[in-house]
Amino acid sequence: MNQLGLLADHYLLLATSIFAIGAIGFLTRRNLLAQLMSIELMLNATNLTFVTFNRLHVGNMNGQVFAFFVIAIAAAEVAVGLAIVLGFFRLRNSVHSDDADTLRH
Amino acid sequence: MDGILKAFPPNDFALLWVILVLPLIGAFVNGIFGKRLGKSAVTLMALIAVGVPFLASVVTYFVLIAGGGHGSTGDAHAATKLYVKGWEWMSLSLAQNAGTVSLDVAFSIDALSGTMALVVTGVGFLIHLYSTKYMADDPGYHRFFAYLNLFIFSMLVLILGDNLPVLFVGWEGVGLCSYLLIGFWFHEDKNAQAGRKAFITNRIGDFGLLVAMALLVYYGGRLDWTGIASGAGQLLTPIDLTQGVGRPVQFVLEWLGLRYVSAASLIGIFIFIGCAGKSAQMPLYVWLPDAMAGPTPVSALIHAATMVTAGVYLVCRMAPVYVLSPAAMFTVAFVGAFTALFSATIAFAQRDIKKVLAYSTVSQLGFMFLGAGVGAFTAGFYHVLTHAFFKACLFLGAGSVIHSMHARVHDADASQDMRYMGGLRRHMPLTHVTFIVSCAAIVGFPLTSGFFSKDEILFKAFTSSVQLPAAIAKMKVGVTEIQITQWPTWGNPVLFTMAVAAAVMTAFYMTRLAVGIFYGDFRGWRIVEGYREAEAHGDAHGSAIHGNDSHGAVLATALDSHSSTEDDAPTHAVHHGPAAGMELEGPKPQESPWQMTLPLVVLGALALLGGIFNATALFHFTPLEHFLEPVFEGLENIVIRHDAEELEVPLLAPGILAFAIGVGSALWVYVAKKGKPAEAFVGQFPGLYSLVFDKWRIDELYQETVIGALEILADISVWFDKWIVDGIIARLSAFAVAALGASLRLFQSGKVHAYASLIVVGLLGVGWHFSAPHARLALQSDVANGHFMLSASEGYGYGYRWDENGDGKYESEKFGTRTSVSFDLKWAEARNVTLQVVNALGRVTETTVRVERPREDLSRTVSRIDVYDDGKGGKRAAIRQPGVGQAEQPNLPTNQRAPSPVGAAPGQGNRQ
Repeated sequence: MNQLGLLADHYLLLATSIFAIGAIGFLTRRNLLAQLMSIELMLNATNLTFVTFNRLHVGNMNGQVFAFFVIAIAAAEVAVGLAIVLGFFRLRNSVHSDDADTLRH
Repeated sequence: MDGILKAFPPNDFALLWVILVLPLIGAFVNGIFGKRLGKSAVTLMALIAVGVPFLASVVTYFVLIAGGGHGSTGDAHAATKLYVKGWEWMSLSLAQNAGTVSLDVAFSIDALSGTMALVVTGVGFLIHLYSTKYMADDPGYHRFFAYLNLFIFSMLVLILGDNLPVLFVGWEGVGLCSYLLIGFWFHEDKNAQAGRKAFITNRIGDFGLLVAMALLVYYGGRLDWTGIASGAGQLLTPIDLTQGVGRPVQFVLEWLGLRYVSAASLIGIFIFIGCAGKSAQMPLYVWLPDAMAGPTPVSALIHAATMVTAGVYLVCRMAPVYVLSPAAMFTVAFVGAFTALFSATIAFAQRDIKKVLAYSTVSQLGFMFLGAGVGAFTAGFYHVLTHAFFKACLFLGAGSVIHSMHARVHDADASQDMRYMGGLRRHMPLTHVTFIVSCAAIVGFPLTSGFFSKDEILFKAFTSSVQLPAAIAKMKVGVTEIQITQWPTWGNPVLFTMAVAAAVMTAFYMTRLAVGIFYGDFRGWRIVEGYREAEAHGDAHGSAIHGNDSHGAVLATALDSHSSTEDDAPTHAVHHGPAAGMELEGPKPQESPWQMTLPLVVLGALALLGGIFNATALFHFTPLEHFLEPVFEGLENIVIRHDAEELEVPLLAPGILAFAIGVGSALWVYVAKKGKPAEAFVGQFPGLYSLVFDKWRIDELYQETVIGALEILADISVWFDKWIVDGIIARLSAFAVAALGASLRLFQSGKVHAYASLIVVGLLGVGWHFSAPHARLALQSDVANGHFMLSASEGYGYGYRWDENGDGKYESEKFGTRTSVSFDLKWAEARNVTLQVVNALGRVTETTVRVERPREDLSRTVSRIDVYDDGKGGKRAAIRQPGVGQAEQPNLPTNQRAPSPVGAAPGQGNRQ
């Protein structure tokens, strides 16, 4: 196991922790804005994993490219997500995710 | 004629397509576009669609009279028949004679069908013309003519079809059109019900025709007219009726002596069942009187002149089969005579003029079957012809009367009721004259058309019969011989007596009808509201025609109850309300327009002068019989009494007497005595009268027996459907699906975080699966030399440990990086190799493979001899052993590389 590999372990551990924080945040919080932020955390954890593995595979830039791709997607997602949150707030006067249950009824 | 025959050769007579297709086009155009085309276009289309085929039929008829191309074919038989083939319809393979029967959509016209076609298109055209006025104010004008054209098409398919299946298509087609037209005013449930009754009753008969067809193709082998005639000889084979029936039925059949019947008899009976349905004979006649619910031109065209005579046509067509079976022929004749008599009695008591004509039609159809049944096919068919003229004329005359009555009373039933007519001769002179002429024809006034045709039937009923010569009148069953049932000796006198009685009755009730409509005083002035109630209260079963006095009393009751009925019929109250209580001066009955009277005149003239076609009695001038000769030639077994010639003049007497007695007594009863004797008779036998008035309650009998049984069956089916199909099959499965849905619905909480946690659970599951190490081994083997190598697949952070020698213990407890092991095996030796893999996450998995080197193959000791240079200038031969040479080794594993030749270094075969 080379030096880089040892480093990679740390990066991956960090990414996993961030992802876990995001996931738990998404599951436990009921505030839509907080949930959006949790999603951002998870996306960034993914990005970190991508660039780490990209570093492991010398001469292959797929991971970097994917990281940028994820950033772009995340931006779009936030734009749409915030719009939905706004619309939902106008409709229900609430940003509580449990109130978004029209489809069930 | 030559020009026509040049254009249309007899065996490809395309003119028939014109006759056939034009009515179909008319039906299509009127049916699909009629509403947008407007009334005059519909009229034009409908008249062309029948008129042009009529002209084509006339041309065809002249071709037939001219003998149709004697020289061109050289075949005397083909000369009398014009034929056109459309396409092959189907081909049946028969087990019986191991051949195939090709059924074509083919049409032919000969003297019989030519005459029929002329009647159908000619009378059809006149009735179309009549209908243009009769139906002028009907909102369903285009629909009516579409149906009427479709009927003409179906009828032409029926009579021009060259084989039974094509005829059957037309047969069903006319049944359909009859149904559509009877129920033409389907808003009234009564009419729709009459249509259904006609259709269902006909279907019962059609079943008989289908069975007959199957029997005919099975025993005779062919279904086209020529083939039926030529194959009829085979129909004297016995059929065992007890095959496949239960013991009791078998016993009854044997007791009746009906165990074996000839195929001809069975076919004849089943065809007659079909004919009895279509031509309203006992016991299937019940639909025809109800069919009068349709518009009157329909009654004239379908239920008097054309469709109902299809059965007689079919019996004539099947003459070659019928003459082989005296039993079937006698059945036809007897049922015909009995129907003629029976329905004539019902006609006595009817008040509805169309009902009287309907029962008269049933009765006359009975005469036709009587004629055909005694072997006088020409006489029977001639009555079809004359009946078409006078009965169509009678119906159209009745329609004309109803038309003018309806303008006055605005009530469908009252405008057909004889009690409100009388004295119409002053108002409708032309209708009156033609009606009386047709009446004269139907009652057999000497020298009218009906006189000749009916007299011929009476004469033949007495003198003609069908008898098989003793030589062929038996069938062989095994070694025993069975006599074929012969014509009963008492047959002819009985048939003749019944026919004469029916003729007397016909004369009586037709005179009663004519007197009731046209003579005396017009009783319709006093038609007001409430006449139905009058009937219900006071005069439920009074005499059909009352004197004026008694009628006035009835009407007085009606006027008393008037106020109570005003609510029931507000529209009528507008017409008559203010004047209630006094004699009404409504619109007078008026003569109908020329479109309606012209057909009357033409048909009346034909009814009067139709005798010239076949004036057998007295004159022996028989063009029709001569013309029909080719159709019925070669019919054997028809026996004419030896003294028939001497009997001819004496036998005229009963016919003329029947006419004289019937008409005379009716005139005495209804004109001289103003109906008093009839009332007295009714007063004396009220039970009998009401029985006859209710048509002998045959409908009620059917209702109780056949229909009742069907309804019980239907009830059982409903129960089954409700409890088994709906209850168990449908409800139970629906409940299972609903329960499944309810349980699945529990997962749909509608909470975002619940869905998200499920995603996480799923992700963890997927992650767990992907984080497992995979111990996969690939084998490389060199069986010939016994070298084997196992290599493990690689993965991220994998460590390996092996149990190479199969002793159950790993060679080293620590996981290393060694990814492959090599070893040698002897012949037929096996070894277990175990690999354990650990990955970066510390998860461990293991796999064990068994590697086996097969037994040495000694079966091919010498595979080939190689000759090679020994390097010393000579040649040597070497024997290659199997397993060591390059010979193919069929039992080696597929991944084995080719064994190396002798002398190669061991291990060289191992691939790195």
